[in-house]
Amino acid sequence: MKRVLSVCMIVMFTMTMVFAAGSQEAEGEKTYNVGAAVYGLQGEYMRLWTTALERHPDVVSGLVKITVFDGKYDASVQQAQFETMSTQGYDGALFVPIDIEAGAAAVATAKSAGIPVVGSNTRVNSDDLLSYVGSDDKKSGYMEAISVIEQIGGSGNVVIIEGPIGQSAQIERRAGNMKALEENPSVKVLEMRTANWSRAEALSLMENWLNAHPGKIDGVIGQNDEMALGAIQAIEQAGLNVKDFGIAGIDGVTDAMLAVKDKKMVSILQDATAQAQGALDVLLAELIGPSYVPKAKVWDSIDFNGGSEAIYNVPWVPITMENVDDLLAERSELTQR
Amino acid sequence: MVKQMKRVEIGKSPDEKNLKQKLIAKFNDYGIFIVFILLVIVLSIAKPNFLRPQNIMNVLRQTSINGLLSIGMTFVILTGGIDLSVGSILAFGGVVAASFASDAVGSTIHHPLVAAGIGLLAGIALGAVSGLLVAKWKVPAFVVTLGMLSIARGLTFIYTDGMPIPRIDKSFLIFGQGEFFGIPFPVIIITFVYLIAWVVLYKTRYGRYIYAVGGNEKSAKVSGVNTRMIVFTVYVISGLLSALGGIILTARTTAGLPQAGVAYELDAIAAVVIGGTSLSGGQGALSGTIIGALLIGVINNGLDLLGVSSYFQQVIKGAIIIGAVLLDSLRKKD
Repeated sequence: MKRVLSVCMIVMFTMTMVFAAGSQEAEGEKTYNVGAAVYGLQGEYMRLWTTALERHPDVVSGLVKITVFDGKYDASVQQAQFETMSTQGYDGALFVPIDIEAGAAAVATAKSAGIPVVGSNTRVNSDDLLSYVGSDDKKSGYMEAISVIEQIGGSGNVVIIEGPIGQSAQIERRAGNMKALEENPSVKVLEMRTANWSRAEALSLMENWLNAHPGKIDGVIGQNDEMALGAIQAIEQAGLNVKDFGIAGIDGVTDAMLAVKDKKMVSILQDATAQAQGALDVLLAELIGPSYVPKAKVWDSIDFNGGSEAIYNVPWVPITMENVDDLLAERSELTQR
Repeated sequence: MVKQMKRVEIGKSPDEKNLKQKLIAKFNDYGIFIVFILLVIVLSIAKPNFLRPQNIMNVLRQTSINGLLSIGMTFVILTGGIDLSVGSILAFGGVVAASFASDAVGSTIHHPLVAAGIGLLAGIALGAVSGLLVAKWKVPAFVVTLGMLSIARGLTFIYTDGMPIPRIDKSFLIFGQGEFFGIPFPVIIITFVYLIAWVVLYKTRYGRYIYAVGGNEKSAKVSGVNTRMIVFTVYVISGLLSALGGIILTARTTAGLPQAGVAYELDAIAAVVIGGTSLSGGQGALSGTIIGALLIGVINNGLDLLGVSSYFQQVIKGAIIIGAVLLDSLRKKD
């Protein structure tokens, strides 16, 4: 009896998941099945990106059905998800790869199935992408490093906390960081290591560095906000004054904007809405044709050009005391359920 | 001796009861297989695309890496041990092989079989270290392989300086992307490995000894079985198959990734446990492991097809694993 019960349990779970999926098949009108393959959903930025994508007017209206594929920070999972999209005959895909090289295989898989792929947010070394809608990471890497250097008065010691090694954002932000450091030879890099975009990892890293170099660290260059925030936590937990450090991050996640408001750090907003919705617009222009009208707000500032460009550069927005409140308001609008 | 009374349930004829007992017994043996079939049926109804030949090939191909790890894990768990390092050894084997099959690191050897061979040797070496510690110095397997998980991962990062190895030779990619008469190479590889493992486990004395050691190591030793050698070799096998998984993964992702395989040991152990192999050793079947691995593969693939959020997926997967183990322990209690 108990055994039968256990099996029923398992079967019930199975049924639950089928209904948890809750497929809304739109009858009659053509819906476009688009897969959004994101590298991972543990960080706030990718969650903002995904939410913004789901708020795109054509998704809300049901014209486009978005399926989010969580890559779990694993290139082979993303590869498998692209194979699934190919088999299932998706109409198009948006791709935020975890690895700049490994992602090429995934794009090739989609190409051989005739599925157009638009990249967003992070790059992949593939000639098969329809287009790429993202921001120039070399630029933001440069901007944040310059900001830290300025905060510490042009000379001193800094530490650099990196993203996952091999992801384009890490590669390019590092390049930008290095460019700024080369221009300022009186600033020395004491440590440089990856914390994989994770606040918790960065906290541990910073704790150890504070112990290894007591009193010597003047600035922290975090290649993203989550890690910069982790560093701030480490500094505060060590009983030190955050304002004695020059700290910068990138992305403009909510906690970072609040920290900017508290003058604990500097940050640069990466426009997730522009990247996500813009990428979908480019994809839809390809799928629907010249009659398609792009919907994202970002096209007010950059030229859509019929969706034919290979690269769309979404501008960075430095977060300042003047604009932080407006940005926070926009953010809570986006994250409102 | 008290006369053993035949228990007769009031109201039921003896024949009926026997049939019910028979059905339950059959279900016990094939329980997981039935659950698997049920899952496939439910998914096919919900998403007819699930049964498309191409999707089936996808599932098989995606399951092949975990399948390899699970086969090695079966050998280890049958002896009453465990191997937590399979994910890290997968990564190490993968990057070592990649380093001999890419011009990005100035490799002079460009023969895919040589590169793969060296990768396998790397896995064997690490497996041997674990095996030695467990078999000869009797350090608990959990502790040894937990340590090896860290060590192997560290070695992987040291070896690659933390960077992925790109531009793998096209000839090497066949391991992950090639096809033979429409069947993906990884599937062919795991089929071969499964057949060989099956023969070794069920048709050789070595295989019987593995069960003996897992069942009762002391008795096995007293009966003349070289228990140390048996225990040592299963970790070598696990290391070898982990490295093979790493080679396939490298070929599939066209890069030697030092971060590959993180937490893969969990899926491997899950497959073995779902398949009915007991964690205390001596009991279990290879066929169960394969069904377990396929179950996990189908769950992953099916939930993706249905568009279930990845957060739900994790809950469901865990629930199914617990459910399966519950089944196993209830079965043993009777």
